Amino acid sequence: MTIEHKIREHLHEEAETMECPPAISKRIEQSYSHYLQRKRSEITMKKRLIGGIVAAAILIPTAAFAAPTVIDMLTRAPMTSEQVKLDEAGKATLEKLYSAFPETRSFEIIEASYLGDPNDSTKKVQLSIVLQEKGGTGKKLTLHTNGITDVIQDLTQENWEPKEKPLITLPDQEIKGKVDQLIDKLYGNIKDYEVAIEQMENPNEKTFILNYTKKGSEGEGYQVFVQGNRISLAPVDFEPSNNKVEGFFSFNGKPDYTADTILNDEKLLALLKMSATELKEELAKGKTVVEIAASKNVSRQQVIDVIGRTMAEGQLQDGKNKVTISDELLKQMIKDGEQKIIPIIEHKTETEWK
Amino acid sequence: MENEEMYQLLIQMKEGDEQAFHTMYDATFQDVYRTVSFLIDHKQDREDVMNEIYMQMWTSLGNYDTNRPFQFWLHGLVIRQVQRFRVKSWRRFRIFERIRAFSHEESYWDEHTALMDATNQVISQSIRKLTDKQRTVIIFRFYHDYTLEEIATLLDIPLGTVKSRYHAGLQALRRNLGNLPLERMVKINDY
Repeated sequence: MTIEHKIREHLHEEAETMECPPAISKRIEQSYSHYLQRKRSEITMKKRLIGGIVAAAILIPTAAFAAPTVIDMLTRAPMTSEQVKLDEAGKATLEKLYSAFPETRSFEIIEASYLGDPNDSTKKVQLSIVLQEKGGTGKKLTLHTNGITDVIQDLTQENWEPKEKPLITLPDQEIKGKVDQLIDKLYGNIKDYEVAIEQMENPNEKTFILNYTKKGSEGEGYQVFVQGNRISLAPVDFEPSNNKVEGFFSFNGKPDYTADTILNDEKLLALLKMSATELKEELAKGKTVVEIAASKNVSRQQVIDVIGRTMAEGQLQDGKNKVTISDELLKQMIKDGEQKIIPIIEHKTETEWK
Repeated sequence: MENEEMYQLLIQMKEGDEQAFHTMYDATFQDVYRTVSFLIDHKQDREDVMNEIYMQMWTSLGNYDTNRPFQFWLHGLVIRQVQRFRVKSWRRFRIFERIRAFSHEESYWDEHTALMDATNQVISQSIRKLTDKQRTVIIFRFYHDYTLEEIATLLDIPLGTVKSRYHAGLQALRRNLGNLPLERMVKINDY
């Protein structure tokens, strides 16, 4: 046993014997409640100061948007609901939504932001809006729109069914009916599509995936996830490809499709100088993508960069319309994507996802 | 727990959600307490430092670098408070500290150390005999498995300095635990 190993083992063993005395926890809890008291009295003071000043009207909406989600913080800029209504893409998105679901007119915009080019403020790569029903039942809609083409790229509908009987408890046919209706209202012509419904291997929460394909097309359609009381819908435009391989990883002996779209990346395969089938064979031996890359003298960072670029470009593309952005923003987007890429390229087949 | 989830919890906690505070505290206090215990010998001091660390949580949330794991941010808070404490105590209790340093051996024994077997006692003792700076590097390297680069970022010191403290620390430990064949130790470097 090396000394390093011995020290490591010892520290972990010793740590196991250390128990934090309850007195410490109690003291910290007290510190926290002191902090809360101070904070609360501060708030009331602020309120008094502002009094009847009109400024309050401006403060309220900005406060609502003060906490964007972490992953988006680098590149996203918050918008007020007024800005959304004045923005062209924002206006178009809301119009589409209102005509599909008239009841959403009365909904409140509770959060909005855009992902944009810092060098060109007119270029909004993606516009995100969250709407919620005022008061009542907590119906909520989250929309991500391509800011240039106005196409809704992603829509999540939450809490449309009563809490006591959430969506996922309904029979399959009824779930499908609800999704059909949603697509029909938003994009139209549901009759042109065929649907395959399957339940995902998700031990924690029952999840359905519905794949809608336009009849006679190469794979154009919609992909829908249903989980809990939530429908998540995104139009997809599968690129027809002959080398598309499925089930790169497996779990419990069954093919695991989780990372397939990411690994079916021509540029990645070119970088690794192997075909998709060869990559799948290598992964089946229990290696990670990083290890396979290393054996080909390709660094982890190179793998991240290639996949990140494809992912970022995928987000910017929308059918035939491609949005061009500065290298700076592209780099930022790749960096943003890293957290999603790393678990994939470090995943081993037959193990659970981290 | 995932980074994003933890960050949301912190925000809620800062806004005054007591439930969020408890969830957050329960998820972290063992790790924080153990790290502090490795770095600070006296019980009362540990308590003070622990309290400072958690108070920092709601005041310095703005410094959270969302690109790095939550754990890393947390350990940054830990190490800064430990260092602050050392500076402070050095100023305030310089003389007292010197006495304590000389009478080191009595003061650091905790109940649990007495329960260990002889080898483990020697290791434990040797680690506590290191200088504070060496000890910090050794704990973060072997208890938290950070790379030397990460430790350099955490401590905000150059990588070269981390390396020299690491090697000096290991060497001191080797001298104390010197019952292993030397060639093996030199050949196999764990980092």
